[in-house]
Amino acid sequence: MNIKIGFEVHQQIDTRRKMYCDCPTNYHDVPPNTNVCPICTGMPGSKPLPPNQRAVEAAIEIALMLGCKTITDQTVYIQRKHYDYPDLPSGYQRTSLPIARDGELHGVRIREVHLEEDPGQYEPVAGNVDYNRSGVPLVEIVTEPDMKSPEEARKFLRMLIRVLEYTGKVRPEAGGAMRTDVNISLEGGGRVEVKNVNSVKGAYRALKYEIIRQREKLKRGQDITRETRAFLESQMVTVPMRTKETEEDYRYIPDPDIFPLILDETKVKTTRSRMAEPPHLREKRLMEKYDIPHAAAEVIVSERGLADLYEAVAEEADPKLAATWFQTRLKKVLNFMKLGAAEVKFTPAQLASLLRIVKDKRVTPEQGELVLREMARKPADPEEILLGLGLAPLKKSELTAAVEKAVEENPKAIEDYLAGKKEAMNFLTGKVIGFTKGRANPRDVTKLLLARIKQKDKS
Amino acid sequence: MVQRTLEKLAAIKRGEISAADSVAAALELIEKKDKKINSFIELNQNARADAESLDRKIKGGKKVGRLAGLVIGIKSNINVAGLRATCASRTLENYTSTYDADVVKRVRAEDGIIVGMNNMDEFACGSSGETSAFGPTDNPAAFGHITGGSSSGGAAAVAANFCDICLGTDTGGSIRNPASHCGVVGFKPTYGLVPRQGLIDLGMSLDQIGPLSRDVAGAALMLETIAGKTGNECVMLDVGKVNYSEKLESKGLNGMKVGISPKFSELTDPAVMDVIDSQVEKLQDLGAEVVDVELPNLEHGLSAYYLIVSVEFFSGTRKFDGRKYGKRIEEACGEEVLRRILRGRYISQKEYRGKFYQRALQVRTLIRKELMSALKQVDVIVGPTVPKLPHKLGAKLSLMEMYAYDYLTIPANLAGICAGVIRAGEVNGVPVGLQIQGKALGELDALQVMRSLEAIE
Repeated sequence: MNIKIGFEVHQQIDTRRKMYCDCPTNYHDVPPNTNVCPICTGMPGSKPLPPNQRAVEAAIEIALMLGCKTITDQTVYIQRKHYDYPDLPSGYQRTSLPIARDGELHGVRIREVHLEEDPGQYEPVAGNVDYNRSGVPLVEIVTEPDMKSPEEARKFLRMLIRVLEYTGKVRPEAGGAMRTDVNISLEGGGRVEVKNVNSVKGAYRALKYEIIRQREKLKRGQDITRETRAFLESQMVTVPMRTKETEEDYRYIPDPDIFPLILDETKVKTTRSRMAEPPHLREKRLMEKYDIPHAAAEVIVSERGLADLYEAVAEEADPKLAATWFQTRLKKVLNFMKLGAAEVKFTPAQLASLLRIVKDKRVTPEQGELVLREMARKPADPEEILLGLGLAPLKKSELTAAVEKAVEENPKAIEDYLAGKKEAMNFLTGKVIGFTKGRANPRDVTKLLLARIKQKDKS
Repeated sequence: MVQRTLEKLAAIKRGEISAADSVAAALELIEKKDKKINSFIELNQNARADAESLDRKIKGGKKVGRLAGLVIGIKSNINVAGLRATCASRTLENYTSTYDADVVKRVRAEDGIIVGMNNMDEFACGSSGETSAFGPTDNPAAFGHITGGSSSGGAAAVAANFCDICLGTDTGGSIRNPASHCGVVGFKPTYGLVPRQGLIDLGMSLDQIGPLSRDVAGAALMLETIAGKTGNECVMLDVGKVNYSEKLESKGLNGMKVGISPKFSELTDPAVMDVIDSQVEKLQDLGAEVVDVELPNLEHGLSAYYLIVSVEFFSGTRKFDGRKYGKRIEEACGEEVLRRILRGRYISQKEYRGKFYQRALQVRTLIRKELMSALKQVDVIVGPTVPKLPHKLGAKLSLMEMYAYDYLTIPANLAGICAGVIRAGEVNGVPVGLQIQGKALGELDALQVMRSLEAIE
């Protein structure tokens, strides 16, 4: 069956002040209705300040990273989009005409990119409105309906989020910074728009649900009319909002209180020269430059910080070993400690040094991982950490002493073992490994223990 | 003619009369006479205290502002913290401003004493002063007649000697029209010269705040107080501080080119035109060269204006949705306000956009070009302000008769140029004002023409 899926993605831009006033944007961190002023609450008589330039530049950068052509050296009007809802203090939302068009990401065409402002937050049950969020800058990215399955759509959204994160200029996805309208149509049916989708998972589930719903309707010979539906995250279903035919008219007019934007071609050129390398291009380059497999490169570019760290490390250590580590152990440690790559405190040189130690087989990879975990907790030279953890190579005499100690301290376990309880040996082996701080090889330990017990039993 | 505003300022600064006395006298006069005139909606309970604190400043020998001790009225669509900005509507009758408009901040910084909020046409929608939910304003210069509007209360308060200067707003003539009918000075600045932050919208692309005063010096002082770019809004011209009052001279007008258009007499009541013609002769006596200019599409401004203003007004009033200010505007407002909202809602529909709003914007461009090209040949264009005399309070006019008051004032708003009004004479005891339209940022030329005429009265 022929399925067409498209997105309108709304992503908050990470600026300090709001789009049209000086209020701070950290709406999550403050009590309701504290980051507000006459402008962002639409008090009678208030007028917007000129658009936040950082937001404009961030939107341009995002558009460029998505391969769009910016609309330069001509007027781009900021429009008023009128609708009546409690979270909208002036009764209209300001939204720009496209600032860029005709991009592409992962085979999906990007139709256009706009600048918008967030409305406030309405709590229908309590009937409260919090205007802290009102006026936070948004970039809106509209795709063509080029995705053909929920899986493809999910993949695209993940890639888009990665591009957005690469700019370093958007708010993290968690916490409602990204919202998506999902458009889906099945062959023979009208286009259905699903609003109120707040995550990649949500988009995927909404699409899955819609395909089943629409397919069943078509099977029964019913029509699928153009309509707008809302996604209910808790129940994983969509419900009708209003039909498209009777859709309210937004009565767009250019906002008379704001000069239209004019994107300067030379400024766009500067932005282009300074912008981060988009992840999909970086992935390709890393594979070629360091001769590493696609799977590793994919993990490495999943975060801009991770990719930056990798390239720095790859200069000083074996790039292939580094790639394997980034794909497995480093990723594991960071996930375990809930750290983003950009948050790690150890230096690339320290990580490179650790990889050289591993490569020289001075420690086992498992021990190396312990060092890495320690390094992530408290950055230091890996050589020092090795000493501190007692991970310097185990001397024969140390191992013998540890075995002796285990035997002396656990006569009951030895009795049990001799009485036929084989688990007692595991217990003793664990003791020895503990005494050697994990440096001893379990198989060697068991061998030594058996010899020692045999000897003791004879005497 | 003596410049009463300047004399009063000097006397206050020298300590001959106190600001407190001046305010007390004004309040007493308002108390006595405003029941009949109805030029104020609310008085400022802090006015006396503000004046007393200014007097202490003067006594202490401190430097005081250029409006020191002058009695100022503010139109009820401009936010003054602590006072009600009702827009003369039931919609906002309980809305107390939480902040000062930028122009109010500037008036306070120059030590003007704000005595209250003036009556007006509801949301500035009207040309007669009769659409106020707080009742019409009577014309102190011609009792029983309308004041004109929409800055009805401000013009009346100056004409009745309640105030030295009032701040009005002008979207299609709302300062100039009542100034003409009440025989006072009024000035609409170039669009973008005066900040609108804190002005409740009628037509955002047309609105400007400006002075109503008893003489040209008063208008010049107020204008230079409120003019100039702020960092506090977007759509402003890049103009710093301006000075007009020190540059005005009662000299002749040698070398000045004054334009008149044959269109004016076509559209205007002959009795009014007679008064205007005699003023034009005076300008020639003063040395100005009078030439004809072509304004072939002048009258088409009217319909374009009412389309544009309705769409912008519809948009600007969406915030009065009944959630934050108690009443939904459509349910609380009078019929002219409702008519404009519904018109705006109708013509801004997707399917009509090309037909009405876009077309109106094209006419606006046409008229702007016409006026700009005329103002390339001359320094100012002079003519009547209102094409006919004000009607008697309570008379019933058709909608077109009402809108027809605005034919001659609207073009300046559409073009964004400046325009002043000064009393030219009267017809049967009713004042008639001469309109002087200047170039964009041509305030000084327009004020100079006004001052020269005033000086020979």
